[in-house]
Amino acid sequence: MRCPRVLLPVLALTLVLVAAPPAQGQGEVSRGRGFGARLLQSLVDGVQFGVIIAVTAVGLSLLFGTIHLINFAHGEFVTIGAAFAFFLNVSAAGPGWHLIPAAAAAVVFGALLGAAVDRGLWRPLRARGTGLINLFIVTIGLSLLLRHVVLVLFGARPASFAQYDIQNAIRLGAIGITPRDLTVTLLSVAVLVGVAVLLQRTRTGTAVRAVSVNRDLAEASGIDVQRVVLVVWILSGALAALGGVFYGLVEIITWDMGFKLLLLMFAGIILGGLGSAYGAMVGSLVIGIVAQVSTLWFPVDLQYAWALLVLIVILLVRPEGILGRPERTG
Amino acid sequence: MSADHTPVLAGDDIVAGYLPGVDVLRGCSVRVGPGELVGVIGPNGAGKSTLIKAVFGLLRVRGGTVRLLGEDVTGRPAHEQVRRGVGYVPQLQNVFPTLTVEENLRMGIYLRPKEYARRSAAMAELFPVLATRRKQKAGAMSGGERQMLAMARALMTEPRLLLLDEPSAGLSPVHQDHVFDRVKEINGAGVAVLMVEQNARRCLQICDRGYVLDQGRNAYTGTGERLLHDEKVIELYLGTLARVR
Repeated sequence: MRCPRVLLPVLALTLVLVAAPPAQGQGEVSRGRGFGARLLQSLVDGVQFGVIIAVTAVGLSLLFGTIHLINFAHGEFVTIGAAFAFFLNVSAAGPGWHLIPAAAAAVVFGALLGAAVDRGLWRPLRARGTGLINLFIVTIGLSLLLRHVVLVLFGARPASFAQYDIQNAIRLGAIGITPRDLTVTLLSVAVLVGVAVLLQRTRTGTAVRAVSVNRDLAEASGIDVQRVVLVVWILSGALAALGGVFYGLVEIITWDMGFKLLLLMFAGIILGGLGSAYGAMVGSLVIGIVAQVSTLWFPVDLQYAWALLVLIVILLVRPEGILGRPERTG
Repeated sequence: MSADHTPVLAGDDIVAGYLPGVDVLRGCSVRVGPGELVGVIGPNGAGKSTLIKAVFGLLRVRGGTVRLLGEDVTGRPAHEQVRRGVGYVPQLQNVFPTLTVEENLRMGIYLRPKEYARRSAAMAELFPVLATRRKQKAGAMSGGERQMLAMARALMTEPRLLLLDEPSAGLSPVHQDHVFDRVKEINGAGVAVLMVEQNARRCLQICDRGYVLDQGRNAYTGTGERLLHDEKVIELYLGTLARVR
């Protein structure tokens, strides 16, 4: 049975963390509140962080599933989404749009960017039969290039969007959450459900799954695989840009925000099962929760390290990831 | 030649391979007439599966031509060949294991989704086992059932030409019989079939014509019956036991 196997490592970790005494002298926020309340708050923060990672990571996972590409430049798509929305929303050179249309335009821009890099770069490289390692190196180069273009255009100074910057938290019992964070979390969940419906219920989504499973057989079924790959790039670019806007909204916009998030995206998709979109969602959620809950005991600076440690522990127990399929090797 | 006698498939002097500079097929030709059942046999590494992939467009053709009903389709991608009326069943990994039986069949008729109900009903008649397994994941099916599903997926578009790559590979003798019976049935309905087979004797028994490939070239060509009793073919490819059977 799959469910207990998935839950086991998560439950074990939760038990260990709950049983251990909290570290002394944690941040001001945690002082004066019961442990249960702080744990609940961390879980809520973790879910929020996790679903944002998931929105950005799903596209990365779909790309790996369909063309086996490890896209090191995916983080820059996240940054570009946030930076483009910032340009339209805040920048003196921009039109000064409200964040909502600016975010929508950033998603469209991310989708177009995804299509452009597929048509202009990846498709020609695939047509030449370029090996996966070479393609991976190209993604590193593209990542460096895009990151520094953003640095030049956006600058090194962190910035925030013009709207929804400072808000009072709504109290829901022991939990406090701002309307902005609640909206971002709910929208992220809605987007993830939308992606799941697209993959599960539509003809294009089934074709994406078919290409992920067996590219040649999909082609032999009359599916234009190159077109499906283009759709995946468009979806991946759009989701990365949207995730960038969400992340910039709840945290802050920096020129390297996507790059910093990239490791957690990789952790999420590996933990969930490489190439599985649903695995990326579940894995990202676990990573987000562990990163936030770890701050109850350990310094915030180490929160990503704990998330990655959990990745290692779970992979030792289940090498194929939470929702991955065991590969037959003989 | 009248239109009626135009070969469904005519591959001439095909050169193809997987690695740069290494040709597996070295000037191989194949022809399938309307309604014909043609078999391709030969030793391991002769290029049988490569031939089928090259004519279908899954492998780039380096030399020679491929014509479908007289139209030059050399170098065209496989999904276009499906549009032109070709069905293909690979030897291995011939179903989508994580998709249900129904989703596999839907992928088969991806180009004409409105025809799904009619065609899946036809497939349920031809392969009754599939009708009871619609919601089951293809990966959970037995080898024989998978082969049925793979053929049904390829037949969803009502192809004029069906390419089968070793349909009996890995199956028990009972399931092999079942597969060969279905192939005859499909061919009897008017679908031209090009079948690559390792079970050379069984293949030649049911084929109208056969090709024997060796080292990427045509070694022998003839009717299935003639090749089955050809001394050299028996000696080199069928094994001497074939004489006494």
